[in-house]
Amino acid sequence: MRLPREDRYDLIEPLLPLVEKPSRYLDHEWGAETDQSGPFHVCLMYPDVYEVGLPNMGLAILYRTLNAQPGMSCERGYLPWVDMADLIRERDVPLLSLECSAPVASFDVVGFTLAHEMACTNILESLDLAGIALLAADRDEDDPIVIAGGPSVWNCEPVAELFDAVLLGDGEEGIVDMCACVRDGRAAGLSREELLRSLARIPGVYVPSLYEVVVDETSTRWGYARPLPDTPAPEVVLKRSYADLSQSDPLPQTIVPYMGVVQDRLAIEVLRGCARGCRFCQAGMSYRPVRERPFDQVVDACREGLAITGHDEVSLTSLSTTDHSQCAQILHQLNADARERGVRVSIPSQRLDSFGVEMAAEVGGAKKGGLTFAPEAGSQRLRDVINKNVTEENIDLAARNAFENGWRRMKLYFMMGLPTETDDDIVQINQVADRVLEIGRDVVGKGPKSGVSVSISVAVFVPKAHTPFQWAGQLPLEEVRRRQQLLLHSCPDRAIRISYHDAEVSLVEAALSKMGRAGLRLVMAAWRRGCRFDAWTDQFSFERWVEAAREVGLDLEDIAAESFDLDARLPWEHTSPAVSKGFLKREWRRAAQGMTTADCTMETCAGCGVCPTLGVENLIAGERHAAS
Amino acid sequence: MRVSAMQQASPQPRLRVRYKKDGRLAFLGHLEVINTHNRSIRRSGVPFAVGNGFARRMRLQFSQALPVGASSECEYFDLMLTEKIEASRALEMLVAATPAALAPQDAAYVDRSLPALEAWLTRALWRVEFLGRDVDAAALDQVLAELRGEGDLEYLRGDKPKHIDLSSALVGWTLDEVDGRQVMSLETRSSNAGALRPQVLLDAAFARMGASEAEAGAPALRVARVGQWHEADDGHLVNAL
Repeated sequence: MRLPREDRYDLIEPLLPLVEKPSRYLDHEWGAETDQSGPFHVCLMYPDVYEVGLPNMGLAILYRTLNAQPGMSCERGYLPWVDMADLIRERDVPLLSLECSAPVASFDVVGFTLAHEMACTNILESLDLAGIALLAADRDEDDPIVIAGGPSVWNCEPVAELFDAVLLGDGEEGIVDMCACVRDGRAAGLSREELLRSLARIPGVYVPSLYEVVVDETSTRWGYARPLPDTPAPEVVLKRSYADLSQSDPLPQTIVPYMGVVQDRLAIEVLRGCARGCRFCQAGMSYRPVRERPFDQVVDACREGLAITGHDEVSLTSLSTTDHSQCAQILHQLNADARERGVRVSIPSQRLDSFGVEMAAEVGGAKKGGLTFAPEAGSQRLRDVINKNVTEENIDLAARNAFENGWRRMKLYFMMGLPTETDDDIVQINQVADRVLEIGRDVVGKGPKSGVSVSISVAVFVPKAHTPFQWAGQLPLEEVRRRQQLLLHSCPDRAIRISYHDAEVSLVEAALSKMGRAGLRLVMAAWRRGCRFDAWTDQFSFERWVEAAREVGLDLEDIAAESFDLDARLPWEHTSPAVSKGFLKREWRRAAQGMTTADCTMETCAGCGVCPTLGVENLIAGERHAAS
Repeated sequence: MRVSAMQQASPQPRLRVRYKKDGRLAFLGHLEVINTHNRSIRRSGVPFAVGNGFARRMRLQFSQALPVGASSECEYFDLMLTEKIEASRALEMLVAATPAALAPQDAAYVDRSLPALEAWLTRALWRVEFLGRDVDAAALDQVLAELRGEGDLEYLRGDKPKHIDLSSALVGWTLDEVDGRQVMSLETRSSNAGALRPQVLLDAAFARMGASEAEAGAPALRVARVGQWHEADDGHLVNAL
């Protein structure tokens, strides 16, 4: 039932002395939108705690965009931490928005960020705390329209039935279209069903209730979705793509939090998309094409952003910032501006070549902390399989360059369980680390006083939808554990520190990434058993997930390890980032042959299909640097 | 304590600012208050000085931490500037860039050689309101006197046992009726050994009070710091500004 819109901070205030971090629930931050007069009200929910959700760039963009629309107001909502969640449930206090402390269930539209698969139980927890029916099918006529979008929409089937509509791709235009459609539909007296049909006509909008799941000999066991007869739902919903990043607001993130948040700095999105073509990377496939924000706009946004927020650090964010054709000029200009004001400039990761180290030197200044590189695989063979396009020579040169430039601590990211991986590939992870360590000792000197250290962090490969590895199964749990032991025991030097991701978390993530709509039974069973905040190590309970799977007759390991036939209709094919299945198949085959594919922003078109399908193109501001 | 004209001419003038902490921002922790002022100062455009260390931090010092949930009318920070601007102008710039519930109230230049605020402001006056129910004023008065007479008070901060010497830290108290509500005024003294928080003292007092109080449970408190001073060697109180 739709709750009345009213300020209920009085319900939260008495609880603040009782919870761990009251500043999560305060609002009134500098830069928050105070005019919430509507009359159309949207609440954007991030299904995790405030300090994780606030820095989210997507949510910030949509918040600014909606609040700029005449007659529309947008507030934020976050999932309360377990202490507050238990208190409000116990005292029958509904989940409230941040700006006006209004019940989330009173809004016209409630939008969720699908950040990653492990947040699925948090969506259920949010809806339940809000008092909104969990299933879209169970909502009343006047209940909020619950929508979703974000980086993890590409197989949203296990949670699809929670949403009235899902927006695929870039949201800055689509969400306005959706909200206007709901507003106008409500004003015209449309029924909820008619409203959903109207939403389905908007490009990029997937309305799950207008599709049925068919399991037949052409599909996997999860079936495929096809539009119900006599509905406007398209067979395949193509994503929205914002054609020219330079036309967007370069400074959407202007809310300054009181509490420490996970990325506590000003963030400027310098480019969107990545065409490097790593075959495991869902973001690399789903955010194409590459669109750079030009030098002037980035520099001006940094200056203005620092002035209006008061942050002492600015981060140039994207999937591959050092690929920006004007990266060197931008960093150089910003550093010249920033040093006198005690401001730091940072970039999220470095390219594995000498250019990457040059850029790291620009951002690091005199202070040399650790430097992180991601070779992803130990052997050249496997790096070619995943299309990492990094050679041993690149790694050695980057390491030597970094040690010579003053860095002492090197962190290397790898993955385990990649398709075609053998024990030799695992052993070679250690060999790469050892080579880097030896280069460090060669440059800096041996002995503990040299300060040279190398650490490696090894994640477990999770096959993701709409990537060339979408047909692969995940390595079985026992085999992951055996290879983790092999990695530990084949380490040649105690100076190399090894850490690896929890195989059980990765297993649940893989199962959620591969399942179809029937996976919702598992998600709901897990949530009913108390699963929430599954991305938090201290909250994740593998036992509960296993019990939940048993309850609904599923086997997590069996789901995660299953590989799909190359010609099978996959559960997510009706929602498309416009990368063609033919391209993905070709990449899968090239992977098997160890053949690499070039980055289309530096060499020729790889034929992924995005540009002709969506009528967009790469927009590169200058000349890109190939690896050197 | 306002600085003389000659001192004002020295490099990196030290601007002292009094600010409040109220409304929902009373629930900010000390680090959160520090970070918020740091950013407000950057936004304000006042010519703040930056340290010479690797981290290039703003030269900014705060008075003693206020407990989470406590409000205040008299918090202070000292900010080193690279150039002297009119204190009233600096105040104006800071007010415009600071959330209202932490708004600066007053500002003036002070002697650069003064000790850090945290160590210098050793005396505080607190106002405590009891929420939900009245307390037995006579019994509370008696228990507080007992506790002070005993001197050492052991309490837990998290899981860690801590000690404070009440014979020094608890200067005095009064319990009055204001607009029909019980309001306690509490004077405390801090030292290198620690500072007394009203909640700690009153938790200990209610735990010791008679069976009827114990059954009722300790009342919720609304705590505000209403004054901070430096206590001179002769015992007289020196204003921070």
